[in-house]
Amino acid sequence: MPKLLMFHARECPHCRRMMPLVERLEKEEGVVFEKLEVWHDEKNAEMMRSYRNILAPKCGGQLRTPTFFKPETNDVLCGEVEYDKLKGWAAQ
Amino acid sequence: MPPKKYWRCFICNDIHYGLFPPVLCPTCKVKNAYVEISEQEARKMSLPGAAPFTKEDFRRAIQAFVAKNEFQVNPEQDRVETLLEGIFANESNHGLKYCPCRLATKDFAEDIKIVCPCNFTIHETYQGQEKGECWCSLFVRRTKNA
Repeated sequence: MPKLLMFHARECPHCRRMMPLVERLEKEEGVVFEKLEVWHDEKNAEMMRSYRNILAPKCGGQLRTPTFFKPETNDVLCGEVEYDKLKGWAAQ
Repeated sequence: MPPKKYWRCFICNDIHYGLFPPVLCPTCKVKNAYVEISEQEARKMSLPGAAPFTKEDFRRAIQAFVAKNEFQVNPEQDRVETLLEGIFANESNHGLKYCPCRLATKDFAEDIKIVCPCNFTIHETYQGQEKGECWCSLFVRRTKNA
């Protein structure tokens, strides 16, 4: 099973909306996202910055939240999306 | 673009940061009153007496900012509250009112682009979008009736 990361921020409304969808996906599909809060945890922030060259081109040239990421394949999904889109991305 | 400079109105001591001095001082309305000054002078002239800028001050400031623009503050109050919490947490923890939905890169030239309000009008989430909004959705395109 590929490693799935979710970069999110505590006060980001898009992240708050996505969190229940991520939890639903975990429950229904048996996948696990490593959830990394980036504004209140410097270690997580540094990790997101370390992937800047991969993440930013897919997210308007910036580091934006939420960003879903597969570090093994460099697949990136950026922003608030519908459940089915997240599910399809995770299953790719 | 050449580096911006600091300018001070010799009448009322307003400070301006930009390539050129304002022709008309917005505070005292005197023409051709701005002289170039050092960054050190600009900082010292700006800091003394500056009142704390609270969340309510920021709320008032962005309402005044949108009043004559084609965008408005998001009518969803819960969303705005969450964002203001993040903006002020970021200022407290990281020094500037960084967008709660983007991460600073530690490259200052890049990071000033995510200080709220940012220039979201050029972003793909706003430009050309009927229901355009800034990335975090604090600002949304004004509807015809709003």
